[in-house]
Amino acid sequence: MRKRRVSILLILLGIVIGSLPAQPSPQEAKEIIDRVDRMLRGDSSVGRVEMTVATRQWKRTTELRIWSEGTEKVLVRVEAPKKDQGTATLRVGDNIWNYLPKIDRVIRVPTSMMMASWMGSHFTNDDLVKDSRLIRDYDIRIEFEGARDGVNVYEFLLTPRPEAPVVWGKIVYLIRKSDLMPVWGKFYGEDGQLKRLATFSDYQTLDGRLVPTRMRMTPEDKAGEYTEMKYRDLDFDLKIPENIFSLNSLRGS
Amino acid sequence: MIVVRLGWRNLWRNSRRSLITIAGIAFAFAFTIALIGLGRGLVVQLLKNGTELMVGHVQIHDRDYLPDRDLYETIGNQAGCDWRQLIFRLKQNRQVVAVAPRVFGFGLVSTGDQSAGAQIIGVDPQAEGELSRLVDRNMLARLKPGSLLLGATLALELRAREGDEIAAVTQAADGTLGNELYRVQGIVKTGLAYLDRSVAFMRIDDLQRLLALEPTRIHEIAVRLQDPLIAPDSSREISRMTGLPEGVSVQSWRQLLPQLNDYLGLTGGANAFIIGLVVVFVSFGILNTMMMATFERIREIGMLNAFGMRPGLVLSTFLFEAFFLALLGLVVGFGLGALLMRYLSIYGLDLTQWTGQMTMLQTRVDPILKAVWNWDAVAGTAISLCVSTVVAAYLPARKAVRVDPVEALRAPVMQ
Repeated sequence: MRKRRVSILLILLGIVIGSLPAQPSPQEAKEIIDRVDRMLRGDSSVGRVEMTVATRQWKRTTELRIWSEGTEKVLVRVEAPKKDQGTATLRVGDNIWNYLPKIDRVIRVPTSMMMASWMGSHFTNDDLVKDSRLIRDYDIRIEFEGARDGVNVYEFLLTPRPEAPVVWGKIVYLIRKSDLMPVWGKFYGEDGQLKRLATFSDYQTLDGRLVPTRMRMTPEDKAGEYTEMKYRDLDFDLKIPENIFSLNSLRGS
Repeated sequence: MIVVRLGWRNLWRNSRRSLITIAGIAFAFAFTIALIGLGRGLVVQLLKNGTELMVGHVQIHDRDYLPDRDLYETIGNQAGCDWRQLIFRLKQNRQVVAVAPRVFGFGLVSTGDQSAGAQIIGVDPQAEGELSRLVDRNMLARLKPGSLLLGATLALELRAREGDEIAAVTQAADGTLGNELYRVQGIVKTGLAYLDRSVAFMRIDDLQRLLALEPTRIHEIAVRLQDPLIAPDSSREISRMTGLPEGVSVQSWRQLLPQLNDYLGLTGGANAFIIGLVVVFVSFGILNTMMMATFERIREIGMLNAFGMRPGLVLSTFLFEAFFLALLGLVVGFGLGALLMRYLSIYGLDLTQWTGQMTMLQTRVDPILKAVWNWDAVAGTAISLCVSTVVAAYLPARKAVRVDPVEALRAPVMQ
């Protein structure tokens, strides 16, 4: 069971940060993230993602279709390979349901299993639920600004507020200054040890917005293992029918 | 020889005092035997419950399997092993009573609306019934293909009843989501709250299919022996067995149940403390007796000194007197202790008025405590009592024999 949590929405965060117009003048760190957060809430998206999970024992690639609306609603359905086709996850608010076509059952994920792996990946169910609460839970400031490896970057340091219910001791984010594209995010435990590394690459324009189409998450305690999400296709601000985020639609009917 | 006979005779010169001292030693010894016997009784019971419930006395795993219970670390690694053959061979060992194979999985069990995390244990119903007492044999026999047994609290949480259909979902070995439907064949009360809350049993082949493990791959082989106390030897013997798969570790309950092993060490320490205490009390009794004995014979010692008897010999008579005192005390005490032990091992000490059903070190404890002989500790007590008696006698005796004959003869006559 993987006990790390990072929002899958971090990808979306990255995407939205990327979609901001280039801001050469330095802004207050909090303002940037806050803006990202607000933009994310108003957003809806439909995308096709290729998820590759590599562990020491196996490596699998699945094709996912993802619908999202705001920060509260997500539906993910496996489209390939055939063996997993139709397997789906619905998240509404704090609840997660899984649909398993082989036994034709919808199963609600109990709170006790929130830290368990989501669809065999290095993400947990909890990562799905975690919406963009960075503004509320973390103090954000620019730790570094300037050239690094020949690229002008901002380095954001996110430290949890005293009463915030978070698992990370701190988060460090590196964002390109020119187009506000995320480069990497490092997630540290409360002991100060690096737990997770998220790296972003393959910046492309999808539906008119520049986004990092590839995100790889590497758990630090499992050498050689990773989960990679590759966006094949992404559409923003579509009107998604309300009934998409329902148990019926989860079953694929 | 004269010294020995003098010692023996001196013992009976004040027979009432000697008898009281003997009685003191005897009672101290008898109660120590009983107390240590009860302690051993508790250990034996904890050991019995701790091992017979589920663990067994010896277990075989892949070296990397414990403590994380990693799904992939099966016996014989990726390839697995011919575990049926291995079990057959283990059963050839004279000490081995029962052998059971197991597969462990962690996952979600769900009735649809209600789901909960569970530890799913794949068992061979027949073999498991012979090895462990966790689940009733008749209940295990109901474990047909495609069915499972649910822990009582877990069943309550899922609101599942016998005959209901349950979905089990787990992370399978090939990276897929293993999922399957099972029928609830029974609801089990193991007596251990943490297991009742989390456990589900199914047939070993069912669980292997759910986890996408090949039929050759199992996680654990548990072995039950005739005598749990020789488990470390047996586990060494088993680990030397030829044809054991690569990279396995064979462990006895001493490693598998470290708390129990620690508790055993603790009772050893407690026994030493009790023995020490008794020895100290008895020593003071002896010291007192021997001080009186030397004091009242001061004239006679002076006389012997004047005759030219070697002080060492005089001293020895006192030591032998003390020794006989201890010996008689021990013999009587042993008889008394044996009677006590007989009663305590048959009827036991009923603790129900102080405790109800007890759980200790995660095992059930019967509140009627039955004593079991702990010969090592009994022998240890006997030897320490003898030695301490002689030592206690030595101090006053040495002082007495150094007395100046003239002074001694002036001393008032006692008796």
